[in-house]
Amino acid sequence: MASVTLRGLSKTFEGAAQAAVRDLSLEVRDGELLVLLGPSGCGKTTVLRCIAGLEDPTAGDVLLGERVVTDLPPAERDVAMVFQSHALYPHLTVRENIAFALEMRGVASPEITRRVSETAARLALDGLLDRRPQQLSGGQRQRVALARAIVRAPQLFLFDEPLSNLDAPLRIELRAELLALHRALRTTTVYVTHDQVEALTMGQRIAVLHEGRLRQLGTPADVYERPADVFVARLVGSPGMNVLEGRGRANAKAKPGDEGGGRVVEAGSLVVPVALAEYEGQLFLGVRPEHVGLCGVDQGVGNGDVLIVEPRGNETIVHLNAGGQGLVARLPGLVDVQLGTRVGVKLDRRRLHLFDAAGMRIA
Amino acid sequence: MVARRWVIAATAVAAAGGAATVGVARWAEGRFERAGALRIAATTAAYLAVVVPAGADSSDFDLAKLLVQARALTTLPGRTSAVEVYHGTAPLVDATAAPLPAAELASLRREAGGRWQDGRALMPLIDPGCREVVGAVAIRVVRGGSVGDAAAQLLRWAFPAALLAVVVAAGAAAGRRPPGHYTVAALLLGLAAYADVRGAARRVTDRWLAETRLLLQEAATRLPTPRTRVALSVLAPLAAAEGTGAGRGGGRGNADLVEADSTTPTPRRVRVAGAPYAVVAARLGAGRWVEVRAAPAEASTAGWLLLLTGLALCGPLALRGLRWVELAAHRRQELRETATAWAFLAPAGLHLALFSFGPTLYTLYLSMHAGGFANFAAVLRDRLLWISLRNTVVYSLYVPVSMAIALVIALLLNRAGGGARRAVRLLRAAFFLPCVASVVGAALVWQWMYHPDFGLVNYLLSLVGAGPYDWLGRPRTALIALMLLSIWAQVGYQMAVFLAGLEGIPQAYLDAARVDGATAWQRFRRITLPLLRPVLLFVLVTGVIGAFQLFTYVYVLTRGGPLHATETVVYRIYQTSWEFLQFGSASALSVCLFALLFGATWLQFKLLGRAVEYA
Repeated sequence: MASVTLRGLSKTFEGAAQAAVRDLSLEVRDGELLVLLGPSGCGKTTVLRCIAGLEDPTAGDVLLGERVVTDLPPAERDVAMVFQSHALYPHLTVRENIAFALEMRGVASPEITRRVSETAARLALDGLLDRRPQQLSGGQRQRVALARAIVRAPQLFLFDEPLSNLDAPLRIELRAELLALHRALRTTTVYVTHDQVEALTMGQRIAVLHEGRLRQLGTPADVYERPADVFVARLVGSPGMNVLEGRGRANAKAKPGDEGGGRVVEAGSLVVPVALAEYEGQLFLGVRPEHVGLCGVDQGVGNGDVLIVEPRGNETIVHLNAGGQGLVARLPGLVDVQLGTRVGVKLDRRRLHLFDAAGMRIA
Repeated sequence: MVARRWVIAATAVAAAGGAATVGVARWAEGRFERAGALRIAATTAAYLAVVVPAGADSSDFDLAKLLVQARALTTLPGRTSAVEVYHGTAPLVDATAAPLPAAELASLRREAGGRWQDGRALMPLIDPGCREVVGAVAIRVVRGGSVGDAAAQLLRWAFPAALLAVVVAAGAAAGRRPPGHYTVAALLLGLAAYADVRGAARRVTDRWLAETRLLLQEAATRLPTPRTRVALSVLAPLAAAEGTGAGRGGGRGNADLVEADSTTPTPRRVRVAGAPYAVVAARLGAGRWVEVRAAPAEASTAGWLLLLTGLALCGPLALRGLRWVELAAHRRQELRETATAWAFLAPAGLHLALFSFGPTLYTLYLSMHAGGFANFAAVLRDRLLWISLRNTVVYSLYVPVSMAIALVIALLLNRAGGGARRAVRLLRAAFFLPCVASVVGAALVWQWMYHPDFGLVNYLLSLVGAGPYDWLGRPRTALIALMLLSIWAQVGYQMAVFLAGLEGIPQAYLDAARVDGATAWQRFRRITLPLLRPVLLFVLVTGVIGAFQLFTYVYVLTRGGPLHATETVVYRIYQTSWEFLQFGSASALSVCLFALLFGATWLQFKLLGRAVEYA
């Protein structure tokens, strides 16, 4: 077991105009499951490959525990990696696939046999050991890829979007299995995904990456409740947070004793009173869809036109046009809203997020 | 009902097909009969020319003696044909018969091959002196009672087979039997018709042999010289006489007359030096026998077999066509698409048939022609074949060597990336260049490089104090020199194929192996090489096939020498066919080479060919 520390890690590919990873520093604690979350092309897989030793960083260091491994080849880092494509050797059986890494490390043959059958039993692969990868289903292949990683009992697991090639029900099932496995093994794990649901459900901490930079590092609750910037706010959640462009000013109709000194944010057709003492001018107002409610016209903070209604059974998603700005509301149960009608909008004023003109969190 | 209409159609088609087949078979039989009669007439004319001396004051026959000998012909026991001899236009045998029309005689003067007129064969009678047509010999083949004979004609094989085919076709159409049965019946009909034709050909040959035997024995008694000493050359014209012209087709070539011990008076079939002959023995005198050897007419009836079975199979084909047309009439779109598809297929199909399948089948035919497997036996006994085979096998060992070199180059080029890309492209082109160069041109360049006095190879060797060698002139080095040249020529192509194969291996496998702790050698040995196996197999199989077809380098550089050191199988085939003009042997060699390559390829697939799929 070991922690992983990245110090000022940068990687620029040959011939590429932009760096894939820029000055990234973070620590994965011993035994922790850290999720690297970001859209495709944000550099999260590159980070993972740098930790594995498959890419040489342009600058910075990688530490496993106290050991600097930046210049060590992958074989000497004692890490195991599960690839997005599974990368099971097609010409080897399941048994040979699992045993491969042990053989390469010169483990004695009876020991290999024992550990392979142990691992196979743990992942319910007993009956499949003599098949070839192309004879397996997607879920079975994923389990073999997992078995190949855990059979070595490495210091560190690296998962590169391991579930993204699977269909939805299987993904949910394997997610739970992975978590159970991590609880049982307590091995430090770095898990790369572009799926925020996967990140929220699996990560003990989440590191959000965008354009090669670290945007936020925190628990799932932190990231969801207190997004560090507009990008994280929009990325996390389904649907993501509403972020409205607005302008803060003093409220002309303010009465003494009003919250926030009677200041409001004007965003599209909405005028939202906010607890904001100082800020004046351009800013962003964030509110999660579940904190948006509908009411009669002119009874809320403003009005909006109904564009799309998505009934989902347990909830209804309503897309509104609020003075030229999109606003999504997430209402419990089935709601009777007519397309094209005008409705009033209520916001939960305790759950508003404010970001400055550069997109950074104010409050 | 549809079924009823089909029964009528099927019956009609089968009847037409049967009638056509039987008709053609009968016509073929008649053709053989006519040729046979003409041949008998020719032999009879030759007999008369031998036994009747010329008149005292002319080159023409002594008329009195001609009359006697002609009449004597009718008294020969065992003859199966009626003979008439005309001198001028006057009949000699049966004086009351009608004279030969003058126009007939005139046309006989022009047609040395004789003609068929009014149910009898007419052959010109040529006097021995000035080689002028002075009369004619007419032969009418006598059969048994005419009514019974006609019945026998009908009831041999073809007619009952045709009836059977009609019944089967009608039954199949009525739905009681699958339509495939009619095809089988039609095939039977074709074979039956062929049996009839073949039987006729055999009968005709036998009849001519029997008649010739009688005439030979008669000639021996009537010649003035003592019969035990009759020279064979005197009697030879009888055997050599041949009916040609309109009725030709009865047999191939002339017959021979040889001294023999055989005393069998009935015609039989023997093989002499692998070729079939029809023979009969004739007794010239006490203890003196000769044998007439003729090519049996039935030995050259293979064409009829093809024609008659093809004709018989037209019936089922037409029936299937009718059925298809009826089905397709409801689906015009499908009809049009099918026609279009065939139109698109036609050029390629025609090309294949003409230049690929046709020559292959013809080679097979040539190799088997003239005596079955005799060609193969002769070819396999030839010591040079085994030498050339050994040379070819040794030569083909260059393939694994060049593959190893090509694989190393491909691995190096595949690894080099980034800034070295331009250099990689340049190197790849350089290695590939020999592949696109003219083979003969490359061979000539290497001829200079191998030159014993001025060659580059010997110059390089001299730098390290070795040589010089006459690379192409010494039996021990000539084949090695060709192998080196081939490695140079092939390595680029193999490298290009390997590079493509390497690029087809997903990087993830190699990354996974690196993380799993495999060294560079282990990654190559355990991952790259197994995944490259299909490509290796492809290069190996095509390479070995190419090596077995080695010809150009040998032809240009060594001509098989020195001392057969570079004699290869294909060069041997070339020599056998185009220098020794033994096409049968060359074809047999080609078939052997094909069998060998087929076996070698099968073995390679068996040993290396396990399919690899990427998961």
